[in-house]
Amino acid sequence: MRRAITVIVSLAICAGLLSGCWSQKELTDLAFIVAIGLDKTEDGKYLVTFQVVNPGNVAGATQRGGGAAGVPVSIYTSTGDTLVEASRKASEKLSRLPYYAHTNLIVVGEEVAREGLSGVLDAMERGNQLRPTAHLVIARTYLAKDVLTVLTPIDKISANQIIKTIEFSSKNWGETVHVDIWGAIHCLATAGRNLVITGVTVEGDLKRGKRQENVQSSVPDARIKLEGLALFKNDRLVDWVDGPSSRGVLWLLDCIRQTNLTVSWKGKKEAINYQVVRAKTDVKAKVKDGRPVISVHIQAEGDVIETRVPIDLSDASMLFQLEKEIKKNLKQEVEEAIETAQRDKTDVFGFGEAVHRTDPRLWKKIESKWHDRYFPELDVTVTADMYIRRTGLRNKPYTPRG
Amino acid sequence: MIGEMGSAQTDKGGEIQLERIKINARQMFVLIVLFEHGSAIVIPLGTSAKQDVWIAILLGLALGLLVFSVYGRLFRYYPDQPLIVYMQRIVGAPLGKLLGIVYVTYFLYIAARVLRDFGELLLTFAYPETPLFVLNAIMALVVMYGAYKGLEVLARTGELFLTLLYVLALSGFVLVLVSGIVDLSQLQPVLEEGWNRVWKTVFTETLYVPFGEMIVFTMLFPYTNNPAKVNRAAIAGMVFTGVNLAVIAAINMAVLGPDAASRSAFPLLDTIRRVQVAHFFERLDVFFMIALIIGGFFKISIFFYAGLVGAAHLFGISRHQRIVYPLGLLVLLLSVAIASNYAEHIYEGLKIVTFYLHIPLQIIIPVLLLVIAAIRRRFGQSTK
Repeated sequence: MRRAITVIVSLAICAGLLSGCWSQKELTDLAFIVAIGLDKTEDGKYLVTFQVVNPGNVAGATQRGGGAAGVPVSIYTSTGDTLVEASRKASEKLSRLPYYAHTNLIVVGEEVAREGLSGVLDAMERGNQLRPTAHLVIARTYLAKDVLTVLTPIDKISANQIIKTIEFSSKNWGETVHVDIWGAIHCLATAGRNLVITGVTVEGDLKRGKRQENVQSSVPDARIKLEGLALFKNDRLVDWVDGPSSRGVLWLLDCIRQTNLTVSWKGKKEAINYQVVRAKTDVKAKVKDGRPVISVHIQAEGDVIETRVPIDLSDASMLFQLEKEIKKNLKQEVEEAIETAQRDKTDVFGFGEAVHRTDPRLWKKIESKWHDRYFPELDVTVTADMYIRRTGLRNKPYTPRG
Repeated sequence: MIGEMGSAQTDKGGEIQLERIKINARQMFVLIVLFEHGSAIVIPLGTSAKQDVWIAILLGLALGLLVFSVYGRLFRYYPDQPLIVYMQRIVGAPLGKLLGIVYVTYFLYIAARVLRDFGELLLTFAYPETPLFVLNAIMALVVMYGAYKGLEVLARTGELFLTLLYVLALSGFVLVLVSGIVDLSQLQPVLEEGWNRVWKTVFTETLYVPFGEMIVFTMLFPYTNNPAKVNRAAIAGMVFTGVNLAVIAAINMAVLGPDAASRSAFPLLDTIRRVQVAHFFERLDVFFMIALIIGGFFKISIFFYAGLVGAAHLFGISRHQRIVYPLGLLVLLLSVAIASNYAEHIYEGLKIVTFYLHIPLQIIIPVLLLVIAAIRRRFGQSTK
């Protein structure tokens, strides 16, 4: 008898404890938020945009032959003095419980970035749903809300489109950089390094970009495009860099995987194209006469993949000459980037960190004045080794003989 | 000699016989490893030393071994008795009993503290809507059940779980390395603020938790079947754990950087959350959960069991099973009542418990006991 009671009681306890129903949430009750956009309203509140997946229109799309009936994502906006307030207030419009564990993209509006990021990131780092590996981008020219409303063709959820674009573009071209919440907070909290974040903007007609027709055309009316790098000083956006100098910044951050450098040859501009396959940047700090100096060494190897001039690439001495040209080109890019950052008085390269590691005592003394006084006058020597390893399937380019 | 332990009651008058259980040196090693890892891998251990945290842990280990040599020597003097019993023989019955009560309270209190840690961690990061009491009660039930079954069962469970924990730890370690988030330069500059900061961390944190907590094993050593090997097993366990903890702390620091690591409530969790390998191995929070639950269980269980056996000895209760539930309930209620929020709990742990409990009970009293015992031994009156 006693044994029977014990068994029944323990079974009952197990049933209660093991089912794990305490705060269960049904899948159909959750709104999966894939991206969050942050802007400011005119009265200084946060305008938070949530990009919510429409599950039926994403998962079912292939079965229905690609022509899904509705849009893959829905946009909800809400305002509040803090992010969490706005997020809770969004429940007035949203029929499901917002769920942030799948949020992978944070778009910060340029205005918010110019006013300062520090008030924004705390909630993201503190909460237990949002992952610290979520990507961070800055909406350039347009509002973060605008960027998130544009529908995209290939990857249906535009947040994924942006993330994948960053990923592949930074691997192949190297003018964009992947920054996650972690990295951003790390930079903000480190005295010797300021933040760089990729910009994202809209190309085309924004109004038509949010309609389903946008993705039904082979040339969408509006596209999302990555553009430039935002340089931050402390937590405020101070400047944008574009083109080659943004790649220069990323060379210095050792973020370049593959990229292309076009060099001129015998007076013809943009004549030969060199593709970097592997690259590594070392930043070292030294102290000379009580002042820090930085030396940067960039090492890369790659192939020649396109020539538009007659050049005998089977001749090794030619390749050595070409390597010199490439080196010159690279140094120019990098030095431009350094100049820009020095003009903006913001050390986005982490040179201060290098000084900190080399001479902690000196760093203690100059830490507070680093970005404003020491960094702009810093001596940086850039050296590079660019190796050409191969030249593709041809030694010499063909010569047109009419 | 070993076989006599079970029948110790008859020739010691009022003293209580020990549970008739024997665990071998390997099992003792396993228990020590699990116990020492316990909460130390999940809490921010020694992060006030910033990037030198690993040095602080290794120094804590070195000094911890020194402190342990005191316990080891005491055990060699009284190989068949737990701390609470031989204490009475060293300083006499009235004072010994009083000290015994203090130690039993200490063990139970620390068990409650670790239980609270455990509940707080789960609550903060996985179960925000569940009341603390419920989580703690579930854990406490398991702990009580384990203690009811006794040390032997705990030790065997430990052997199983250590394997699991280690497989997890190794795969986690590999994933962290492979995902490329380890930046060893974040461990530089070494000794940025000199040795002071490191020593301060050692003497306020890492020496006592987890290494000084080995005091609890003075209650369990008599249960081994090979007393000669116990000291070696214990030292091996401590060194093994110390090196592990130092590596984990260094990795945390190298992944998170000194700033984030020292601001984090659970650095290991943050490290694991950053792992992303091939868009497939990511969001490995469950690794952390398993480590937390296994480690937490053994740490609470061992403190609780030591308190239990101690109380049985002190109050002449023949079977420790009889007080498992009352004391378990006490620990559970205490764990909820000791602090009204997490910050208060941590503050008490770092500022009050360290100075008013750890230092006297882990170091001062054992050293005094050893001195008195040695003196008595020299003058030939150690046993009466």
